[in-house]
Amino acid sequence: MGTALEIKDLFVEVDKKEILKGLSLNIEHGELAAIMGPNGAGKSTLASVLAGKEGYNVTKGSIKFLGKDLLKMSTEDRAAAGVFLAFQYPVEIPGVATSTFVRTALNAQKRNRGEAELDAMEFLKLAREKAKELKMSEEFFQRAVNVGFSGGEKKRAEVFQMSMLDPTLAILDETDSGLDIDALKIVAEGVNRLRDDKLSGIVITHYQRLLDYLQPDTIHILAEGRIIKTGDKSLALLLEEKGYQGIVEAN
Amino acid sequence: MKNLQHRYFEDYNKNKPLLPGMDVSWLKDLREEAICQFKKDGFPDRSVEEWNNYSYKALTDNYFEPLSDNKVKINLKSLEEKDSHCTIRVIFFNGKIVNIEYNHLPEGVEVNTLTYFFKNNPDFLKNKISTANRYSEERLSNIIDSRPQSIVAFNTAFHHEGAVIYIKKNVKVPGYIELLHLGEYNKNIMQHMRSVVYLEEGSNCEVLENIVNDKASDLVFTSNVTDIHVCDDASLSFHRFIKGKSNQIHINNVHSLIHKNSNFFSTSIINSLGQVRAENRINLLGENASTKINMLMLGSKNTVLEGLTRVQHSKKNTRSDQKARIVLGQNGKASFQGKIRVNQNSDGTLANMSSKSLLLSDKARVNSKPELEILADDVRCSHGVTVGNLSEEQLFYLRSRGIPEVEARKLLVNAFGNTILEDLNINFADRAKKIMLGYYNDTI
Ligand SMILES: Nc1ncnc2c1ncn2[C@@H]1O[C@H](COP(=O)(O)OP(=O)(O)OP(=O)(O)O)[C@@H](O)[C@H]1O
Ligand SMILES: [Mg+2]
Repeated sequence: MGTALEIKDLFVEVDKKEILKGLSLNIEHGELAAIMGPNGAGKSTLASVLAGKEGYNVTKGSIKFLGKDLLKMSTEDRAAAGVFLAFQYPVEIPGVATSTFVRTALNAQKRNRGEAELDAMEFLKLAREKAKELKMSEEFFQRAVNVGFSGGEKKRAEVFQMSMLDPTLAILDETDSGLDIDALKIVAEGVNRLRDDKLSGIVITHYQRLLDYLQPDTIHILAEGRIIKTGDKSLALLLEEKGYQGIVEAN
Repeated sequence: MKNLQHRYFEDYNKNKPLLPGMDVSWLKDLREEAICQFKKDGFPDRSVEEWNNYSYKALTDNYFEPLSDNKVKINLKSLEEKDSHCTIRVIFFNGKIVNIEYNHLPEGVEVNTLTYFFKNNPDFLKNKISTANRYSEERLSNIIDSRPQSIVAFNTAFHHEGAVIYIKKNVKVPGYIELLHLGEYNKNIMQHMRSVVYLEEGSNCEVLENIVNDKASDLVFTSNVTDIHVCDDASLSFHRFIKGKSNQIHINNVHSLIHKNSNFFSTSIINSLGQVRAENRINLLGENASTKINMLMLGSKNTVLEGLTRVQHSKKNTRSDQKARIVLGQNGKASFQGKIRVNQNSDGTLANMSSKSLLLSDKARVNSKPELEILADDVRCSHGVTVGNLSEEQLFYLRSRGIPEVEARKLLVNAFGNTILEDLNINFADRAKKIMLGYYNDTI
């Protein structure tokens, strides 16, 4: 085991507004952590900071990923090192075919790591396999990235990208929202299939159902810019009962 | 300016004997009429509405020598071989014919130089080369103004070579015809080319006018004017790819008359560091005539690129579709003026226009001006203009997947320009792609 991600006393400002206020969180290799918390608590902010989005000003604290200072790495280097963020709101890119996008990404990561790139045939073979697992039609390879995708299709496409890129740290930001019951199951199975002792995960969600499928190792409550409570599955049940307000008040 | 007009007028008179076709009386009259018009109007300045975006100072501050004998020689060996889809290639170097290449000349297709036709078949060209005056356009205000076309007049007076493409009835030309204009100049000279494309009923043809002035050179002023006639039930694609270096002023005009049930498709891809202006003036003269006008302008340092289209719907049930995409880096400037005029009684007209610009730097400037003059009742018109920068959200999304920033930018710019390339068939798409890639590699 050992620690994959170590966030220490993190303070983050966006547009001069302090959003994260002393957030600390450790995630072990192979651990799946769920983060829950009220709207606007800073969950997506944390995800964006981990992925390296500009405009998020870290005023204090540190993030170590696989022993390296994550905050010093560029967005693309983080991706090559294994960080993957499934966006809460996947971005539409007109004019770029999904297959072109994923292949460019995969090969850029491989290049970055000094590995051999996949040729068109190898890529297609892999993509077909992964699409099939997620019960996605191949027709979407040729469609522009996320353009005209339904809400659920976008989320499923995020998980497709994740399984193609095979990350070591996956951050799923409300990947379950917008999915119908069957799709949720397919996506959860997709995530579970990727789980091994090398993959660490952060699952941001508002709903118990995804957690039932994924069975996270730990559950953290993020409120008012920091983790206010950490526990196991039972914490989610407590939450159902008391609501965030109840837990915030108790802490 | 008056001085300059006078000087060119004198030049014309001095060089008259050297201009081709002066023994053909209608052509002589045409030239004389045109030089008089130019003497009166001069080069258009910013008081002329269609020329008011950017100044053409380099044109008016300098003198360009006509018909100068340029000493630069072409190195034919360095020339790429004719593309496999290309059926006939006409090569001009510094305005002079170098070669007409073909493996097999299809039946019913005549392709030769303008001077060849002046000598051997001048009657064919009569009324096919128009006076600039004929293009003077009536405005809503009923004013007829010849000044916007004074460079066409200038070209009409001074043109000395060009290509003629004549496609006979029902002939479908396989592949495409390329008119390759190469330039490598070594002093302030000007060069005016005049071409004619004539398609008889039921014929079909694709043409690429490929203008390459990408060697560093002294300031030059070149113009290409093409008169196009598409008879009933015919279809013509006439694309222009224009590549140029910084010291280049190039004015390119296409004038097309499109008859019943015919179609005209034109794509202009312009990648120049100089000052380039491409005009498309199209008249849909017959019922069910249609046209698609696409433009992709790629500019960066000190570029001034201008695109102008004017589609005139003169009969019922005519259709037009215009699409302009502009990408500008550094302090590049560009404009797109898209005009649609629907004449009285041209009911059932369908006209679309979209212009989108992508600015890669905050110093880049673009001016996009749609203009509609609608005199009929039953008309469906749409137009849209957007100007934007690369989206930070999209860039972050791509980078978060491991795509390095430069590559991500290229991918997005490429996607933006692809809208124009996607409409091209395989004959042209690869060549267009090469121009785009060259631009991205240089600019991004
Ligand atoms: N660019 C920005 N400018 C100003 N405020 C911002 C910006 N981005 C986020 N915020 C604010 O930061 C706070 C945290 O937002 P964040 O998206 O991280 O919340 P969240 O926990 O993901 O909420 P949800 O559950 O609704 O997705 C919110 O109050 C939000 O309005
Ligand atoms: Mg969120």
